[in-house]
Amino acid sequence: MATYQEFIQQNEDRDGVRFSWNLWPSSRLEATRLVVPVSCLFTPLKERPDLPPVQYEPVLCSRANCKAVLNPLCQVDFRAKIWACNFCFQRNPFPPSYAGISDVNQPAELMPQFSTIEYIVQRGPPTPLIFLYVVDTCLEEEDLQALKESLQMSLSLLPPNALVGLITFGRMVQVHELSCEGIAKSYVFRGTKDLSSKQIQEMLGLTKPAAPGQQGRPVAPQDATATCRFLQPVHRVDMNLTDLLGELQRDPWPVPQGKRPLRSTGVALSVAVGLLEGTYPNTGARVMLFIGGPPTQGPGMVVGDELKTPIRSWHDIQKDNARHLKKATKYYEAMANRTAVNGHCIDIYACALDQTGLLEMKCLSNLTGGHIVMGDSFNTSLFKQTFQRVFSKDYNGDFRMAFGGVMEVKTSRELKVCGTIGPCVSLNSKGSCVSENEMGIGGTSQWKVCGLSPSTTLGLYFEVVNQHNAPIPQGGRGAIQFVTQYQHSNTQRRIRVTTIARNWADAQSQIQHIESSFDQEAAAVLMARLGVFRAESEEGPDVLRWLDRQLIRLCQKFGQFNKEDPSSFKLSESLSLYPQFMFHLRRSPFLQVFNNSPDESSYYRHHFVRQDLTQSLIMIQPILYSYSFHGPPEPVLLDSSSILPDRILLMDTFFQLVIYHGETIAQWRKAGYQDMAEYENFKQLLQAPLDDAQEILQTRFPMPRYIDTEHGGSQARFLLSKVNPSQTHNNLYAWGQETGAPILTDDVSLQVFMDHLKKLAVSSSA
Amino acid sequence: MTVVVSSALDILPKSNYPGNLERGWNDPPQFSYGLQKAGTPQRNLLNKRAAPPVPGTGAPPSMSPSSNPLAPPPCGVATPPPLPARPPLGCMATPPPSGPMRSQKRADSSQSESEPDVEVVMSVLKRALVSCRQTVKDQVCNDMGKRLYLLQDSWRTGRLSLPVRRRMYTLTQELKLRHWDVADEIHLSLMIDHVTEVGQWMVGVKRLIAETRNLSPELLEPLLSPEGPEQKSAAPVQDPVGYDQDSAEPGQGPPEAAQDLEGSNQDPKGLDQDSAVQNPVSHS
Repeated sequence: MATYQEFIQQNEDRDGVRFSWNLWPSSRLEATRLVVPVSCLFTPLKERPDLPPVQYEPVLCSRANCKAVLNPLCQVDFRAKIWACNFCFQRNPFPPSYAGISDVNQPAELMPQFSTIEYIVQRGPPTPLIFLYVVDTCLEEEDLQALKESLQMSLSLLPPNALVGLITFGRMVQVHELSCEGIAKSYVFRGTKDLSSKQIQEMLGLTKPAAPGQQGRPVAPQDATATCRFLQPVHRVDMNLTDLLGELQRDPWPVPQGKRPLRSTGVALSVAVGLLEGTYPNTGARVMLFIGGPPTQGPGMVVGDELKTPIRSWHDIQKDNARHLKKATKYYEAMANRTAVNGHCIDIYACALDQTGLLEMKCLSNLTGGHIVMGDSFNTSLFKQTFQRVFSKDYNGDFRMAFGGVMEVKTSRELKVCGTIGPCVSLNSKGSCVSENEMGIGGTSQWKVCGLSPSTTLGLYFEVVNQHNAPIPQGGRGAIQFVTQYQHSNTQRRIRVTTIARNWADAQSQIQHIESSFDQEAAAVLMARLGVFRAESEEGPDVLRWLDRQLIRLCQKFGQFNKEDPSSFKLSESLSLYPQFMFHLRRSPFLQVFNNSPDESSYYRHHFVRQDLTQSLIMIQPILYSYSFHGPPEPVLLDSSSILPDRILLMDTFFQLVIYHGETIAQWRKAGYQDMAEYENFKQLLQAPLDDAQEILQTRFPMPRYIDTEHGGSQARFLLSKVNPSQTHNNLYAWGQETGAPILTDDVSLQVFMDHLKKLAVSSSA
Repeated sequence: MTVVVSSALDILPKSNYPGNLERGWNDPPQFSYGLQKAGTPQRNLLNKRAAPPVPGTGAPPSMSPSSNPLAPPPCGVATPPPLPARPPLGCMATPPPSGPMRSQKRADSSQSESEPDVEVVMSVLKRALVSCRQTVKDQVCNDMGKRLYLLQDSWRTGRLSLPVRRRMYTLTQELKLRHWDVADEIHLSLMIDHVTEVGQWMVGVKRLIAETRNLSPELLEPLLSPEGPEQKSAAPVQDPVGYDQDSAEPGQGPPEAAQDLEGSNQDPKGLDQDSAVQNPVSHS
């Protein structure tokens, strides 16, 4: 019998799914008493090198409001050639192509190892991928040069038949015509005037000119492939586009003293979205926006051009003193929704030392599945390599990107879906499996994820609807099916189907089984996503209170204790890490805005609600490894007691990699022992964390910041601010001992947090 | 197409460069294309967490009372590293595991014997361009020619670094051998690692690779002729049999090494490929 840990790992590897509970409580009442909802993290396009796609259409249940896909959980009558849908119990005949089916000759989708299967299907002619660069030219010379080179480089990474386009903007917006001959032409738009999609298409000549007198008639987009001079295959225009990029100049309009450059980001995006809307709706396309500062004019402006008026801070927002915030947010949200309808996605590459307006613009990427990358300058390896990795390829040599995803959830009758948290929009598909009770983006069983990568992970929340005292449902198992249709980066249309089942358990008689089926890592991330989702609309302290409340209730439910006796409190192994995760989550930048700008908070949250479990957990509770002469590198507590003079620490917070040299190590290093032959082992000790850091750096997207520091170094604060402050200046009794480093903070330590938690959990009044 | 060909990777630098700390705050180091490509599966997966304090015991981590609680923090400089007391080198009980950085030497500098000759490199590219002129549009050929001139100019005026010159030499050798994918890989590595130097003209070389791989074998013959800046294209009358076999499918086959790699990657496990992949159920 496999342990739950093995079971959980196996399911994640095979189906890309992690459930909070791996046994499901059989009634609604018992489910709500478990505090953490039945929910899962689901990675729709998890890389499966061992899973070859099949080249035929999936077989669907014939009931009109079901249409579930034939899967290994279905009962099959091989003689009568009939299968029973495991969701609605409809009996369906097999299609004629399955005539040869028998006990010993089964199609892949019926085999248990194909609980996840991918179909290649024929849907219209294949269309090439589209990349539309939207480039801010209000940059410093050095930044513009670096960006131009990165863009030129990217032309080598794109597939030759991909379509590429270029829009540049500063005070004006220029749409560049790409052709292989003749002089470079561009269409210029004023950056202050909001234009409708139709106007943009007319001005670009993308529509047949309407005959006079026929104003009201809708204009049909022409055959775009033939006529769109703005989007051309890379292999045809790469030489000219290289020159065009090479010749790009900084925005020529003078910027007076004390002013910001006028940056028409809003109109530039509007033109980009309108251009794609008119030419390639419902085709995989990426708008890639590169900005070196905030939008300062026209629709979507985030700050005025007067330098003496700083860009909004959290303080301004709390005081309702952010003048442009609501209007700009509304503008970009409308645009993001339009983009999502068209099936396109928008990336934002923001490189500047000050804020660039990510708070207002984040929806462009969050609703369409695009990337946000935040850096200090385009001339950094952080930007350059992150940008390269956008075009990284998988084991088949295909881009790790997919487009136009539509994910649908089907559930067996005892379950309903409450909602999703992830980079998607609702498709408002109301069906019998949609719950009234919304969590995240709810009220639908279908979501659109315009841009996907193999690591894109959604959090899905469910509700058990079986009535209390009703018998355990027929078959003893509940099932969920995820059907994800998408455009593969090789332009094929594909459908990935994952069908999973879990046993029902009676929460009264089998509560210990349910408890041991708890996946505390998944639960922590799923609860954290709910918290972050709330934080977008609620005040920070309210969110923390809500999280605390949930934690206390969970401990009351599953802790073992005598009433009013905190010292008797115990949690079983399957919950032992959970309070610690919550402790670190409370301190994380996803819920604490202190010391972060609104843009930074938006950036951190953007990544948190799309990464897979492993990465999300690193974000919640960073990983800390210790290197010493006493043995191989070992994980140590994220605690100030782990900061010892003869250790090197490597901390991974996802956004930062910190290498911290303890006091003694730092002194040895300063004295140069590593350069002496007889201290070769010291040299190796110094090298080991660098090597391990390098492995992380090579795979992480986006590239993290890299901090090499030592005891007493100013940058040591990155480590000190993350560890649990078990020793502070307030409990001095440990001072001067080799038991760690005191942290100068008034923050609550994990120990104090746990003491309070126990007190509240065992209290009968709480 | 990802083609990892050993000959291409050998010539790529395996070192990494520091990030731009002037411009970027805590900028990470920069990895070369070769190093990113070679990205082996992680050896040390750093994803473990230390066991939490035992639930129920809320006490701070145990702190053994020191014999001298008022002593200052231990001062390391006075204390020599404890190493001499340890067993001699080589018998270290627990040497720290070594990562990839140590094993990867600067491949570029290791093969520093020969300075690549600009004439040899240019002659291959020019002959390829001559071949293209017979079928490819004039304007495209002129565009490529313009960029080859830029390349030649940068090289002759000493604006190209040694790694770039050396990799360009290898690229042309691979081009001559009709290893299109390898040549293309080298072009990509140059674009990624040295875009500042090669950005303006490399696109011409890229196009040249793409156009020559589409040419029919007869048109490619001038490319195969022996070294020499101005080789007459009429020369090769004798048909080299070996090349013919090689060029049976122009522009198709990556070198054998690549095919092997691919084949082993795509092994569909436990699946009768014919029946499962092509058809829902096989009709026998």
